[in-house]
Amino acid sequence: MPASRLEFCLPVARKHTERCANPANFKIRKILILTIDCPSTLIPLPSTNSHKTTNFPGKRVFLPGMNWLKETLLLLRKEIVLEWRMKYALSGILLYVLSTVFIVYTAFVRLEPPVWNTVFWIIALFASVNAVVKSFVQENSTRQLYYYSLANPIAILLSKIIYNAGLLLLLNVLCWIGLGIVAGNPVRDAGQFVLALVLASVGFSITFTFISAIAAKADNSATLMAILSFPVVIPILLTLIKISANALRLLNDTNLDQDVWTLVGIDLLLLGLALVLYPFLWKD
Amino acid sequence: MKNWWKIVSVFILVYVFLAGMLAPLKPGITQVEPRRVNTAETVTLKIIGYNSNFTKAKNDLRAWLKSDDNQAVMAKNIIIKNDNELQVVFQMPATLSLTDPISIGAVKDLTLILDNPIDGASVLPSAVFLTQTLNAQSENNWQKTPVETLHEKTGFSFPFRNILAETIRNTYFHVSLWLAMVAIFIGSVYYSIRYLRTLDAEADQRAVSLTRVGVCYGILGLITGAIWAKNTWGAYWSWDVKQNMTAISLLIYFAYFVLRNAFEDYEKQARLSAVYNIFAFAALIPLIYVIPRMTDSLHPGSGGNPALGGEDLDNTMRLVFYPAVIGWTLFGLWIAQLAFRAERLQARLRDQEIK
Repeated sequence: MPASRLEFCLPVARKHTERCANPANFKIRKILILTIDCPSTLIPLPSTNSHKTTNFPGKRVFLPGMNWLKETLLLLRKEIVLEWRMKYALSGILLYVLSTVFIVYTAFVRLEPPVWNTVFWIIALFASVNAVVKSFVQENSTRQLYYYSLANPIAILLSKIIYNAGLLLLLNVLCWIGLGIVAGNPVRDAGQFVLALVLASVGFSITFTFISAIAAKADNSATLMAILSFPVVIPILLTLIKISANALRLLNDTNLDQDVWTLVGIDLLLLGLALVLYPFLWKD
Repeated sequence: MKNWWKIVSVFILVYVFLAGMLAPLKPGITQVEPRRVNTAETVTLKIIGYNSNFTKAKNDLRAWLKSDDNQAVMAKNIIIKNDNELQVVFQMPATLSLTDPISIGAVKDLTLILDNPIDGASVLPSAVFLTQTLNAQSENNWQKTPVETLHEKTGFSFPFRNILAETIRNTYFHVSLWLAMVAIFIGSVYYSIRYLRTLDAEADQRAVSLTRVGVCYGILGLITGAIWAKNTWGAYWSWDVKQNMTAISLLIYFAYFVLRNAFEDYEKQARLSAVYNIFAFAALIPLIYVIPRMTDSLHPGSGGNPALGGEDLDNTMRLVFYPAVIGWTLFGLWIAQLAFRAERLQARLRDQEIK
């Protein structure tokens, strides 16, 4: 029952949050949340008495009865729907990748495979930061408060990480196609390169999503995001460059397995920590 | 005596500085000329010793050129020029090896071993390169199991290593500062975790003070490392993976301080920086301990190079090195405690202003 309730209310909630962005409408929001809590009466406009008895504020409405996995999937759907409705963010990032690729091409004209490898990862890194930064920074605090009142913090972070991983994979593949069209495709082992792209998406997504949650709390979050995340992401990036250099046959890496497992290890370590630490982060 | 450990740390560090800087190195060989010799020729090698007492040793001096454990040639004649210079005459054997077939032009490196009762034995690996020539007429004077009854120098002295020479003393500063830094960062992470669990402002103040001292140690470790690199690798900064990773890990901690300054609200500052501290420390572990081991590096402990220990850290050095690690850690904790008190006083002043 609660799961279906959130499913039902997601589109409603989205519209309502837009309206409730103004903190002055706090009372209205309470009523709206109440509405979502009792779907049988769609617009109940409760009297002050019933409002008190419902014992709402501060209570996580859906958590007790709901599996966090289900919650994550629902929130993931919300992210995708939200992205689809505000297409400008997605298309902006895609355009960003294409124009960077083009600038790089006009600057270099001819890219040797070692340079191609470096340039590819630089574009991918910066595009990823720009794509992920909005996941927390561009959502205003009142809307975030609203999510938190609805769902488990771990589910919120996990859904964002999964969503961003998908987005970054799309981005990286697009970057590959773009750079491949304008500067040629030196990739010899496509399977290995795709593996590197998948690992990159997951690793970047975990790190950047978590750091953007920290950076979002400050005023100049874009600068802070770069300062905080680049040093942290370097171990991931270096291992990735090694794997992709191997895919380009720039070097013959005999222990590729070890690199891949190192990367998976780093990812799991950071993911575990992010999930443990996030509940301390979101409450204000 | 509540503060005994502070006194202990100072005593240990005084001991480390005195013993580490003043104790002599064991005698060694710094230079040999010529480096290239041919088989079957008689060569006079000019050998420059370091910290050696050749004139005192006189007739007890012995010298070998060793190819492996079963083959060596002993010096025919040794002329002592002064305490640090010898002229040693060797009759080189006719072949590179007793067992291998002769191939003209093949080269083998020989280790020079000097021994006398006063200095003990000193060794220079790859001192001379022996080339096989056509002239295979003369005697094949390789000796089997030749190098025996070597002397051991007694007294408090550090081993002489060829590239390292006097810079081996940096072990007590560079290496031990680094280990102390890791210990201090672990302490800082501990207090960050404690802050998140208890929301006690003092835990945060302790965490930030420890991080400050840790960063100072990190910078000192980097500087001592660069000086060491200048003397052994030839440049202060050679873009070695270990150096890069260290620089990056310092960037992480600089970012930590930038993050702290980004917030006005103290509670928010403390909470977010605690979260970042824990996350960054986890990211630091692969940065320092995993990645450098996977790539080629000049630094010991990576790319197949041996890490600390083995023959580079003998028992005399252990007598200084282990106290050095403890001393630097205790000293760091003391400074961190002072920084913590300053931090706490500032917090109190801030609170009073608000009231």
